[in-house]
Amino acid sequence: MPLHIKRLIGVFAIFIALFLVMRQVLRPSSFGELGHFRAKAINENALRPMHYTVADSCTKCHKDIRSDKDLGFHIKLKCEVCHGPGLKHALYANRFKNKELPDSLLLYKPGERKDCAICHNMNRARIKIQFDTINTTMVHQVNVMKHHVTDPKTKEALKCIDCHNPHQP
Amino acid sequence: MTEHLQNLYEVLSKVEGYVYPNEIELNWSILIVLYPYITGLVAGAFILASLERIFKVRILKPTYGIALLTAFSFMLVATMPLVSHLGKPLRAYEIMITPHSSSAMAIFGFVYLWYLMVVLFLEIWFDYRRDMVIWANGTTGFKRFLYKLLSLWTTDISPKAVALDDRIGYIVTVIGVPSAFLLHGYVGFIFGSIKANPWWSTVLMPVIFLFSAMVSGIALVMLIYIVLSKIRKQIVDMDCLDTIAKYLFYILIIDFTLEGLDQIHRIYVAEESFEALHKLVFGKLFYSLFIYQGLMGTIVPLLTLGTLQFYKPKAKIRRAIYLILPVLVLMGIFFMRWNVVIGGQLFSKSFYGYTTFKTGLIGTEGYLMAATWLIVPFLILSFLLWLLPPWKKIETSHE
Repeated sequence: MPLHIKRLIGVFAIFIALFLVMRQVLRPSSFGELGHFRAKAINENALRPMHYTVADSCTKCHKDIRSDKDLGFHIKLKCEVCHGPGLKHALYANRFKNKELPDSLLLYKPGERKDCAICHNMNRARIKIQFDTINTTMVHQVNVMKHHVTDPKTKEALKCIDCHNPHQP
Repeated sequence: MTEHLQNLYEVLSKVEGYVYPNEIELNWSILIVLYPYITGLVAGAFILASLERIFKVRILKPTYGIALLTAFSFMLVATMPLVSHLGKPLRAYEIMITPHSSSAMAIFGFVYLWYLMVVLFLEIWFDYRRDMVIWANGTTGFKRFLYKLLSLWTTDISPKAVALDDRIGYIVTVIGVPSAFLLHGYVGFIFGSIKANPWWSTVLMPVIFLFSAMVSGIALVMLIYIVLSKIRKQIVDMDCLDTIAKYLFYILIIDFTLEGLDQIHRIYVAEESFEALHKLVFGKLFYSLFIYQGLMGTIVPLLTLGTLQFYKPKAKIRRAIYLILPVLVLMGIFFMRWNVVIGGQLFSKSFYGYTTFKTGLIGTEGYLMAATWLIVPFLILSFLLWLLPPWKKIETSHE
């Protein structure tokens, strides 16, 4: 075999050997323990901070709102859908009984027309609701541009929640 | 929370109708458009080189070396758009050290490595070894060291050794042709096998990708050859260009037919996704599909090349045509990739809505980044042409 072919084979052999060594060195230590992934990844993900709580934890303090909500269209909607993630609030808010909550524990109170419009504005792609049935899988659509009422006395535009109770619309 | 809502309003303003939350932002940006584009250029350029080497189209000799070096330069960069698209680019090697047979992308890593090392590297090495040995003696300094290093400090340029190099080079090219088909067919396969996306999921996808790759690669080599001749103040070999144009014409016909077949099939079958796709094609993709890809990138080149098969204007006019046409074809194929990659993510899999693609000038996924990965191969090519100029090679007959 000519020398240059031997050297070429040598270069390829070094390349493949390097690859195999790197494969051993760089392979994450816990890889393959539980399957084709890094077993430690499970713990790393479990350690990420949580933001949301379970729906029942709201009911502990806000029973009245829950019973309102259970009678209306929003029965299946979790509190955090409108009010934002509430784990911190659920854990620490009861320490501030009769006192004002610090900003970090306050939840969002959606009250503007645009808040309701996120779900209820007209969208041709959504299936239309039938008025006579209570079907909670469908979303009531309103043309927000047309459906607005002004206060007859002050002539100011009213918000949705001035007429509709958001917990029992 | 108000800030989150503000973001939500902004995001929702990009959306028409109903889309699932994970479809609002496009995960595969312009960099993923570049990946099949650059890989296609590699496969196409190599196939043009193999026409000379295996299929003995001797008239293409002036472009053989350029085609090989072009393929190699673009191959070195082909994975870079993918790597820079990753959130953690430093983990890119993990695809190679922990591959899984069910991952099409992981297997692509090996197909890529095979093509780069076993096909392109070996073919160029065997093709240039004798010249590198000779050039090493005629140069000094760093260039001499590079030649010595690349020829692995061997000096055997006896007719026997050169004949062996030629023989092995030929075998490598023979292996290279199916490998080139595999490489780019595979890129099409990655898209074609995504069964959840009706715009991608077709068995024709690998074949379409393959032929469009050939079209783009041939056009690129044609362009580089003309520009290079201009820079070197050499006369362009018009017979060679006419022959390349002929092949470009043939393959463009096949590519056009296949894509047409794909669309006709889609229209005739009219699956449940059809209406959504119809709206997409005549809406958000209208310019990129019908104007840039269809009209400017395919129909105009097809008609021009077709006319040239019957009627040959003066060499000067033909040269001008051969300079403009590849640019149009390259643009057309770029938009073909664009329409596949971006188009496939613009409609909701609920078929009820559409989202918008917007990318910035700067940033890891921006236009500048994309432009960088298109320019770098040309810099590598310039270096390779300086180091291994095909026009200074000793003529070998490749018999």
